[in-house]
Amino acid sequence: MAEQDSSKALIPPSATTDTFSRRRVITTAATGAALMALGAPAVHAQTKTIRFLNAEPSRESVRALRVAAAEYEKQTGVKVVVDTVPPDDAYSKLQASLSSGTPYDIGTLAFAGHMLILAEAGKLVPMTKLIEKSKWGPRILFPVKGEHYWYPYDYNFCWMYYRKDLYQQKGLKVPTTFEQMAENCKALTEGGKFGVGHPLGANSATQWMSIGYLWADGLKMLDDNFKLLIDNADMKPRMIRYLDFMKKLQPSMPPGMTQALFGTVLGQYSGGQIAHAPYAGRLMEVLEDRAPDLAGKTGFFMYPDSAGKAQAVNHASDGWVLLNTPMRDEAYKFMEWFTERHYINFLHSAPLHFQPPRLDVYEDARWRAHPLIEKHAELVEFMRGILSNKDVIIRSIDTEGPRIDLRPGKMFETFAISEAIQNRLLKDMPAAEAVDIMAKKYRAVL
Amino acid sequence: MSLRRSLTARVTLLGGVALMCLWSFFPIYWMIVSSLRPERDLFAPPTLIPTSFDTGFKAYWTLLELTDYPLQFLNSVMVAGAVVVITLLVSVVIAYVVTRYRIPGKTIIVGSMLYAYMFPPMLLAIPLLSIFAGLGLADSLWSVIAAHCTLTIPLGVWLLWGFFKVMPLDLEEAAMVDGCTRAGAFFRVVLPLSLPGIVTVAIFAFLLSWTDYIFAFVLVSSDSQKTLPVGLASILGTFDARWGELMAGATLIALPLLVLFTFLSRYFIQGLAAGAMKG
Amino acid sequence: MPTEAAPMKRIRTFSDRALLLAFVAGVSTTLLLILVPVLDAVRLSLYQAESFISAQTWVGLANYTRILSAPTFWHAFGIGLLFAITTIAAQVVLGVLFALLLDQPFPGRPVVRGITVLPYLLPTVVVTVIFQWLLDGGLGLFTVWAEHIGQGRPAWFENPTSAMLILIVVSVWTWTPFVTVCFLAAMQTVPKSLYEAARVDGASAWMRFWHITIPMLAPMLTVTVLLRSIWMFNKFDVVWLLTKGGPLSATEHLPVLAYRRAFSQFDVGGGATVATLSFLVLTVLIAVYFHYFPLEEKEEKS
Repeated sequence: MAEQDSSKALIPPSATTDTFSRRRVITTAATGAALMALGAPAVHAQTKTIRFLNAEPSRESVRALRVAAAEYEKQTGVKVVVDTVPPDDAYSKLQASLSSGTPYDIGTLAFAGHMLILAEAGKLVPMTKLIEKSKWGPRILFPVKGEHYWYPYDYNFCWMYYRKDLYQQKGLKVPTTFEQMAENCKALTEGGKFGVGHPLGANSATQWMSIGYLWADGLKMLDDNFKLLIDNADMKPRMIRYLDFMKKLQPSMPPGMTQALFGTVLGQYSGGQIAHAPYAGRLMEVLEDRAPDLAGKTGFFMYPDSAGKAQAVNHASDGWVLLNTPMRDEAYKFMEWFTERHYINFLHSAPLHFQPPRLDVYEDARWRAHPLIEKHAELVEFMRGILSNKDVIIRSIDTEGPRIDLRPGKMFETFAISEAIQNRLLKDMPAAEAVDIMAKKYRAVL
Repeated sequence: MSLRRSLTARVTLLGGVALMCLWSFFPIYWMIVSSLRPERDLFAPPTLIPTSFDTGFKAYWTLLELTDYPLQFLNSVMVAGAVVVITLLVSVVIAYVVTRYRIPGKTIIVGSMLYAYMFPPMLLAIPLLSIFAGLGLADSLWSVIAAHCTLTIPLGVWLLWGFFKVMPLDLEEAAMVDGCTRAGAFFRVVLPLSLPGIVTVAIFAFLLSWTDYIFAFVLVSSDSQKTLPVGLASILGTFDARWGELMAGATLIALPLLVLFTFLSRYFIQGLAAGAMKG
Repeated sequence: MPTEAAPMKRIRTFSDRALLLAFVAGVSTTLLLILVPVLDAVRLSLYQAESFISAQTWVGLANYTRILSAPTFWHAFGIGLLFAITTIAAQVVLGVLFALLLDQPFPGRPVVRGITVLPYLLPTVVVTVIFQWLLDGGLGLFTVWAEHIGQGRPAWFENPTSAMLILIVVSVWTWTPFVTVCFLAAMQTVPKSLYEAARVDGASAWMRFWHITIPMLAPMLTVTVLLRSIWMFNKFDVVWLLTKGGPLSATEHLPVLAYRRAFSQFDVGGGATVATLSFLVLTVLIAVYFHYFPLEEKEEKS
């Protein structure tokens, strides 16, 4: 529970009991105004305070941070105030705090591109030394001019889950090609249930959950000079294959997928409405919580390609940044302590969803000791295999290109690929035409 | 205006009233009913009247655990209350002066208050935060109150302008001839007659303040200063919230308003009816 | 006809001065808090910036030429007008109708008055969540009903027309009570004696409405329509929460466009430009409105 700091109290405690009385409110307002006039801003004379912007609003994650903050304060006397916001709002909140001159000291971001903007504007403090203490998985660090401003705490790979029991019933095998995936989904669409749920709207859910097939099929969107590739002779056929494949999948999807968000698919799978669901570790956590019988019947595989040769996962991650504020030295010390002592605790707040990007964690008995991680050892090995297997393709739209850059981020925000999917599926536009429109949109921001 | 009490007129009236109630209330009914359904049922075909109840209120307890509901509720009430008081004071003065005195450029003055409504709130909230930070009010509910007032005062001025304008001056003149000062005339004559308008402004000011998300979100960062919409927004955005919990969350946000409104509706009705006493 | 307000008083007594002082204080503080952010937003439109804290490069009016020459702006403008005009018309008609009903005596009237106002009490985020649930593709009540009457499962939000219709209906549901309450409150100030006199003279209900209610409530109607116009043209949250401007920008109006440019597409200057243009459009529309429905009867300029 956050304590009210008495020096910042708006009202005398007695007034809270009678909130409906107007006279009380006026007296309160007058008292408050008087306090303000006397110039009583927060005077935490001796206590140093670090402000931490957290974008993981789940109960467990907030608790993990609060526990860490309390322990740190006990040890060092430095107070860490955690402000939790919905993940979509974190970047705006950070900007607002910076532009008003009251910046947070530590922030959480879900797009490395946002980190890049802040770093290039000189608002961040490098954590290179902290990063170099550990070994990291692939495609998770995004150095800017040789310095590391981003301390990641998870991979959120998206792969495909499926109902093993239904597969057994129908004699199906794990698909390795687009064709097989379409066939399997078709076979499982009956009696009001559907084969698969892919979000189709112009949002991040679609671009995380519905395009893994493209990466498996070898698509690269940008070359090493950030020039667009998707409509050239090599890449365009892959785009077309993908769009036509999605069109084939369409009858196997429940209606309304253009409105679907992350949670929609979770709800659909855990409610037994769909037989396949793209997601990361969180799906298994949700199943354990709400539909434990399904957890045992759920298997997983990566996105297949069109030819049966490759597989891919879609990439996403989250990380912390250190801001250039008067408290930066204290904040750095806290990050040092936190990433050493409480990293695993924090990861445990979503044990399967926060896939560790730091390789030492996988060997750490403390991490392994979590009941869910023990129970789902097979899934954990699968997840770890994504990192160690060089053949697995890991990509995302916003990290295309040779290094972290804003342009792929802008491509991401056009949601041009969602538009292409909708054009193909809802308007029955020929795939080639849809790709041309998509390329045009991308070129406009490159 | 009253219709003659013929049977057709009565039936039409009651039919219209019934339709109006159905239109207004049905979605709210559905929200509450859905929040009280046991989880399994939400995946079964929906029935208009629920066949089973979740007497454990599971969805609600889960949500209440996740947020600081009592504290945020209190913050919302304090902010909204202060906003109502300030709005009434300021907008009554402005509207009255504008309709009774010759003020050069009053159309422009009052017109430019509308600018607050003509820009996306997010674009205004960020510079506002800078202003308040400069005044040392960065993380305080006072900045939220002030920001809300920029939304409610223009509304108050415009609505009350409409009321004061049609109020004939002779009544005030008569009172002043009888020995009242202008202020006295104001309190004794104008205010009672415009009570419906004042009550209306108070209600709208309260609602605008209570339901605001953007300003409260941008201007406040400590958990202890959050208002209800901000606190519950994170719930409505969590990944694994299902419809039952979403509906419970929605009901939790709406409930205080519905309860408050039930209590205050008496004053609301009285306020509206007060104007009917005259004439 | 209502008695016209007598000519304005001059500033004479102490209480006059006190009142004026309060007026000046109130107006200046409010305008300061409103105009400074507004001017800041307009200023931003003259710069190019990737975020609110990035370096800002002066580009003068280049943002304006860029935005105005892209069809997205005009499309969004058209959508905004369509949305605003249809919702305002529906809100006013329905709101006045409800107010008329609520002015009649019938049993349980206070309760019904309360019920009618309920939609307005709900924060937009609650309203959108309720309607999203009602229109859920598989389990929503309306979806199930549509299936029962043989319509199959409608693609509520995937069809541009239906997405727009849903937006309009939701907006009308939520904000009509504003009109209802304003109108109802204003109706209380009309002396009943006027209606009685008209009835005695043989005027029908419709004539009483048209010749007494409407003229007496003209200022209130003027203000209500003005306010609703501004608000509905600028309504951001209901569109953003329900459709995010989709499907494929079919419901993207100027506020959504401005928001996406400034906060998603790393084009703060562009977003501020769209907002400023929207603001200019509104100012022009309001000026036109005042030409036809003036605030004050023309006073002699002294």
